[in-house]
Amino acid sequence: MKRAQIIFDDGGHRWLAIARDPDKPGYVIDTNEYLVISDGRGLLCDPGGMEIFPAVFSALSAEYDPANIDAIFASHQDPDIISSLSLWLEFNPALKCYCSWLWSSFIPHFGGGPETFVSIPDDGLDIIHGRLTLEAIPAHYLHSSGNFHLYDPKAELLFSGDIGAALLPPDEAGLYVEDFDRHIRHAEGFHRRWMGSDKAKLDWCERVSKLKIELMCPQHGAIYRGADVQRFINWFAELEVGVLRS
Amino acid sequence: MEPRPTAGLAMTSSSQELHRIVRINEQIKSVVRPAFRISVMALNAIMLARRAGDAARGFGVLSDELRRFAGELSQQMNGLRGLTASSVATVTALVKEARYLAISERITVVPPAVQEKLDEVRTRQRVAVHQRILTLRQTQASVRRLLTDEILPLMQLGTVLARSAHIEAAYGGRFAAELGQVSAEFSRTIDEIETALTALHKATGDEHR
Repeated sequence: MKRAQIIFDDGGHRWLAIARDPDKPGYVIDTNEYLVISDGRGLLCDPGGMEIFPAVFSALSAEYDPANIDAIFASHQDPDIISSLSLWLEFNPALKCYCSWLWSSFIPHFGGGPETFVSIPDDGLDIIHGRLTLEAIPAHYLHSSGNFHLYDPKAELLFSGDIGAALLPPDEAGLYVEDFDRHIRHAEGFHRRWMGSDKAKLDWCERVSKLKIELMCPQHGAIYRGADVQRFINWFAELEVGVLRS
Repeated sequence: MEPRPTAGLAMTSSSQELHRIVRINEQIKSVVRPAFRISVMALNAIMLARRAGDAARGFGVLSDELRRFAGELSQQMNGLRGLTASSVATVTALVKEARYLAISERITVVPPAVQEKLDEVRTRQRVAVHQRILTLRQTQASVRRLLTDEILPLMQLGTVLARSAHIEAAYGGRFAAELGQVSAEFSRTIDEIETALTALHKATGDEHR
């Protein structure tokens, strides 16, 4: 069963990672969901697909009252990111969903009405959440053409969506990256195929290199900490992307 | 009493209903096509009757009635199509809501504080599923009523008109043979519509099996 684990805690300002579901059906990709809490209010990053909603909901409920989640951040439009939206709306119909303007008329196919969506312009957006100002950081074409990451400058935490993602074997499924060189082999194929643009990749690397990041949290795989964050950015900058696996 | 529909049962019923709607729509097409043929044949028959003069006046009147019959039948079929389209919309909503309910019912471990909210959501979802099922049943009943109260009696009228046209054709003087051929074609087409309507009646009755 999925479990919510605290990855950042500064009193009323917390980040929770909901990860690893051994009971998940094998045909569904494993995902990480992240919750940022400020002033008692919750913002859920990439809440996941409909199939895993019960596991995410149960795991999250153990640590936090889901009725207090009033916003969702969708990095992009994929079903493993946001197809559970309609179910979260069942629990809070007033919930807001932040997503790229590009997908604001596509994601409603999963649920929600015009009042649900807050469109993020291409340049990004400051999102006020509780006492925090979170930054939607552009990551277009990595892999979606309308793609954003979420940066919390106070926690020095970057939710990086599919960037940094790794498809881990069960025996290397820790929450954090412990051995970068060993870990990155599980990320290589994913990034080569899913990330379509070299130009966009370098643009992103330059952008995030300017941020102070202690934790880089992808939607699949393990979390990068400390020096491994810059190690990843350097590795990614060098990687040839947009190619089929040879 | 609180409705307790299960999500699984709702999904199975939805699948059966969609198959039934497909069968009904196929039979509607099998009625509309020959009805259109009747309409065209009747127009030709009216002209033929005019050429035949007084001897075919009765045949002309019956042909005109058959043309009206075909028009009315097509209209009724449009009404039936509207009801099946409404059923498709209801089934679509039912599938969606039953899926939400099925997923909510899979949530097993929650603290007591959250359980109350979860129960509230599940109850709302069950009510939504229950109401969709009721709407679906009401539409099914409307389809049967339209068929039984309006369309089948109309069909009886069509059969009578075709038979009468056959008799009138015999009084067509030197045009009797030609009118006889037209009336035989009327009868064959009416039989075709009757067969399709019988199948349609059977398809709409499937939910009572």
